[in-house]
Amino acid sequence: MSEKSKTLPKELQLVASAHVKYIQSLDTRKDEYEYWLTEHLRLNGLYWGLTALHLLGHPEALPRTETIDFVLSCQHENGGFGAAPGHDAHMLSTVSAVQILAMIDAFDDLEARGKGKAQVGKYIANLQNRQTGTFAGDEWGEEDTRFLYGAFNALSLLGLLDLVDVDKAVDHVVACANFDGGYGVSPGAESHAGQIFTCVAALTIAGRKNLVDADRLGKWLSERQIAGGGLNGRPEKKEDVCYSWWVLSSLEMIGKTHWIDRDQLIAFILRCQDPENGGISDRPGDMVDVWHTLFGLTGLSLLEYPGLEPVDEVYCLPKSTTERILGK
Amino acid sequence: MADQGGSAHGIARTSRVRTEEQRKVELDKIAKYRELEDQVRSGVARGDTSPGLFQLTSKLLRLNPEYYTVWNVRRRLLTSGLLSKSSAASSPLTVSLTASPTATTTPPSAALSSSSLSATQPSPASPTAGRSGTTADSPAGEGKVSAADATPEAAAAAGQKKDFDVLKSELEFTIPLLLDSPKCYWIWSYRLWLLQQVIDRLSVSMARRVWQEELGLASKMLTRDRRNFHAWGYRRHVVAQLESPRLGGESMVEAEFEYTTRMIRMDLSNFSAWHSRSKLIPRLLDERGADDSTRKGFLDEELGLIREALNVGPEDQSLWYYHQFLILNLVNPVGHPTLTPAFSLEDRVTYVTREIQDIKELLEDYDDVKLIYEALLEYTLYLGQLQGRKLDGAEKDELAEWLQKLKKLDPMRNGRWTELERECGLVEMEAFET
Repeated sequence: MSEKSKTLPKELQLVASAHVKYIQSLDTRKDEYEYWLTEHLRLNGLYWGLTALHLLGHPEALPRTETIDFVLSCQHENGGFGAAPGHDAHMLSTVSAVQILAMIDAFDDLEARGKGKAQVGKYIANLQNRQTGTFAGDEWGEEDTRFLYGAFNALSLLGLLDLVDVDKAVDHVVACANFDGGYGVSPGAESHAGQIFTCVAALTIAGRKNLVDADRLGKWLSERQIAGGGLNGRPEKKEDVCYSWWVLSSLEMIGKTHWIDRDQLIAFILRCQDPENGGISDRPGDMVDVWHTLFGLTGLSLLEYPGLEPVDEVYCLPKSTTERILGK
Repeated sequence: MADQGGSAHGIARTSRVRTEEQRKVELDKIAKYRELEDQVRSGVARGDTSPGLFQLTSKLLRLNPEYYTVWNVRRRLLTSGLLSKSSAASSPLTVSLTASPTATTTPPSAALSSSSLSATQPSPASPTAGRSGTTADSPAGEGKVSAADATPEAAAAAGQKKDFDVLKSELEFTIPLLLDSPKCYWIWSYRLWLLQQVIDRLSVSMARRVWQEELGLASKMLTRDRRNFHAWGYRRHVVAQLESPRLGGESMVEAEFEYTTRMIRMDLSNFSAWHSRSKLIPRLLDERGADDSTRKGFLDEELGLIREALNVGPEDQSLWYYHQFLILNLVNPVGHPTLTPAFSLEDRVTYVTREIQDIKELLEDYDDVKLIYEALLEYTLYLGQLQGRKLDGAEKDELAEWLQKLKKLDPMRNGRWTELERECGLVEMEAFET
């Protein structure tokens, strides 16, 4: 941690080294039933943990070669990745795989030892519904703006966005917009902060952020902060640390982060830490998990909490990664 | 990505220390789980398509409904033997789960090219194809195809009966899992895949019967959690399908509108219901063939309803968002469906002015509710825009007063109030005051 953060009062300190240890411990919990029940999230979990470590300034805390080996062991012939060896290919795990390889600068390994970038791009592009522009999660057809964003995220990192019909996809996102300025999971669905992130980020990647009603959306997003400083995901719902990412990154993309109370949100996130064993939970006093740990840290990073690496609000990757790959 | 399950929501933090006995019990549980998983995996690897493997997937999914690969194993077992071979539409990617509010004019779900996905296509026809074997736990289904079904018609009817039984049994299998994990994406998506099979494989009347029951499930799930967006999305999809010509349907917009009224009466704070209402209204009015005066009457009623609600709950955001929806219809009628297209500019100004007046009256009882000031600010700015004029001195004074109130009542959003102050040209006034 930087010198600056050490001078903060105890309740405002990030227990960074405990978080690093917590994340490192995740793959050693094979004697816990939960470890086996969550295998369908292994690759996503690796992405969540590794991104958190990068933001904490400890990118080396997970061994690079083993990480690449594991990621490549999840790849299928068709280019897609499953959540773990023996799990079917899916958009969500494929996006995580691309993000991990991007973060540790391992696209060359994907070319040399995996099925190659082009095959990954083909897998993703084939999941686009060419009539409506949206994307399915896998061959069985579930459609959701989460998958559309994931496709844009991974394809643009691979430099293969031209494999898909970007204009059609943009039309679909626009069709998901609601009167309150927000976006839903599909046309007709209620605005939801998670879905707003995926839609605004997809439009940003497509270079069409001008289609967002920034003023109305900014108002809606800023109203997500409730008493206690935390953010909720929809009107009249409880606060949750993960919205420190979905809401805040969206505010950042439309230039309205200053519309909420920075200090109160920082204090809320820090109250959700497990100060002894590391990790961050949804609300103070609850069980921690790697998912909330990442989104607590990305929130703090967007709020420029001292000592954290800057996070890219569109890609949910360290800024250093997107700068290296996209030159932004 | 958005929550995919597996994260700990709302579970109290407890000490991780286990006794040796607890550890042993957990290790035993792990061993049993992994053995079951191994059995399923090795069955798949040998190309087993038997009801035995099917039952193992039931057991595994009951332990872990998030195991999406096992749901896929189950789909492949169904399409490669347990369901009849008659359907041409059993290949993947023929189901579009996107609910469309204009379903009556939407073509049948879009089929994507599945040829490009050959690497993960279900295995080819299995040696046990045509064999009976249906339900999650008792594979001896009632719809056996026997030698008695000699004629092609009889065989087809028997095939449909068998598929009906299999699919019904599958739908039942997922119910307890959904009740336990109402936010599990994989169960909802498996269920929708089954329902697509129902459309592809059964006669219109049989399929309609099955789909109609889904409305009951959606209602049940929404009774348990009024805001579950999976259940609301499911409901929209089910309604869109029931309305579609493929299921011989007709518009259900009146009934669905009624449903939102019931949900709102039960709980004014249910924004999901208000949202749904906002999406149904333009269609409702079109389908009623509402003339201009009916539309005006409708708007009056909605404004009355929401005003009544605001009188008792002005601190509820859900109500204000719906109010905003109605006001935007007046202020910004271009580019989206509108309730009252025939309103003149004068009508619009009259309505917005009246709403501002009514909201000001709310202040008499609730002068410390920040949402009231927000609405006043917003609508006053709309009024200026609507009339294409700058705000006058009196209005500016009011804006300045409301902004001061907001800064006091809602300091969390001070960045927003300060910016608004600047945009409205009120900064000098503030400087003058201090």
